Amino acid sequence: MTKTIGNERKVVVVTGATGGVGRGIALACGEAGWSVWIAARREKEGQAVAAEVDARGGVGHFVACDVGVPDSSASAIATILAEEGRLDGVVHNATSGLSPVPVSLAEVELADFQDHVNVALGALHSLARASFAALKESRGSLLLMTSEAGFEGKAKLSPYAGVKGAQRGFARALAREWGRDGVRVNSIAPLASTPAMERAFELDPAMADRVLGRNPLRRLGDATEEIGRAARFLLSDDASYVTGHTLMVDGGSCPAV
Amino acid sequence: MPDDRPLLIATENEETSRLATGLDADFVSLPDLTSPETFEAWRARVLAGDARERVIVSVWPPATDADDLVELDAEAWARRFEQPYLLWNFALGAAAKRAADGGRVVAVCQAPAGLDAPGRTPELAIADGVLSLVRSVAAAEGPRGVCANLVTTPIGLVQGDLVAPAPPLDGFPGTIETHVVGAVRTFLAADIEGLTGRVLAADGGRTL
Repeated sequence: MTKTIGNERKVVVVTGATGGVGRGIALACGEAGWSVWIAARREKEGQAVAAEVDARGGVGHFVACDVGVPDSSASAIATILAEEGRLDGVVHNATSGLSPVPVSLAEVELADFQDHVNVALGALHSLARASFAALKESRGSLLLMTSEAGFEGKAKLSPYAGVKGAQRGFARALAREWGRDGVRVNSIAPLASTPAMERAFELDPAMADRVLGRNPLRRLGDATEEIGRAARFLLSDDASYVTGHTLMVDGGSCPAV
Repeated sequence: MPDDRPLLIATENEETSRLATGLDADFVSLPDLTSPETFEAWRARVLAGDARERVIVSVWPPATDADDLVELDAEAWARRFEQPYLLWNFALGAAAKRAADGGRVVAVCQAPAGLDAPGRTPELAIADGVLSLVRSVAAAEGPRGVCANLVTTPIGLVQGDLVAPAPPLDGFPGTIETHVVGAVRTFLAADIEGLTGRVLAADGGRTL
């Protein structure tokens, strides 16, 4: 690919990047020659993705991070800054393991609500606070991986839909707050072929027909070539005048937009 | 037959009390966030109640100053985002089940307009999350004729000089008795059919 001037060797971190969309974003950033930190719980899988980043022309690293644990996200950012001395992009992609589990809103247990909130928003708050000074220095950006569920809601995945909507509000507000310091905040609502989506299809067999039946392109997106490269665009200097935006990378699927 | 009076499930404070008065609603207060047992007991009690044609929900946290996100430590974040947002989940879940077939659920949520969002990241995150939850209720309960909608208001979230342009209408940010209650009544009106998953910003046009 052609590298854009100003985009050379950016340093970015992606949470939940051991698979699925997070891995796709990491690999797409690796294609640009960037330094990519895989922030995840599982070291073996994280190191494997880091090696894939290397193979695509970037520099891959692993940093231990359990986004459901208070202070773990901030600790990961501190590790990266100590190693690299800079940070250009933060991608919060990790989501609760309960995300694809169908449930009625009236029956969700408090602990399950808290897990959704801790992973989607608690970690985001921690990541944002820990990285702001470095992003201000680099005039970098924060990117949230939300979902079309955050626009339209989901009958059987209400807790997931709720936190994805909350992430959009978080990004809209923070973009206006951080814009004065040159830091951009954006979101992507992807529809990707991932292990999580495959599991959701298994748990709710009719879901595949519902998801693909309304999709003009009649397919799921590729996590690297379609979702990851869109994420790379928003992290790059090519998107230097884009902030507070949610980019739908869903094949035109979401009817709420 | 379901009770004719609307049911308001809400945090117990002055603003929601005025909302209950304006709507002539029965009031069910939300519990404190103390323990899972407290929540489960509250939920079991509320879900056992009679069905209502009209259910209104509101979580109205104590007033806070606007603060940059980097200034919010974990305790402040929990107080301004996590605790109210968890209450919203429980309140809307209860409202969905208490609504009678063909009934209405209306959520009333504080929300800053985009122009006024700096310093209000927790509150705008809650508002957008609540919209998604309301739409989830609309999708889940729609097959039995239940409509679920959202009214937002900037009351309690406005400080200092406003960023230009000024809101089109005078009286910003409005009052509960006029602007908010009126917007809720719109969604509760008997001759409004087929509206669900909608949001009405009762803010004098500030979000335009």
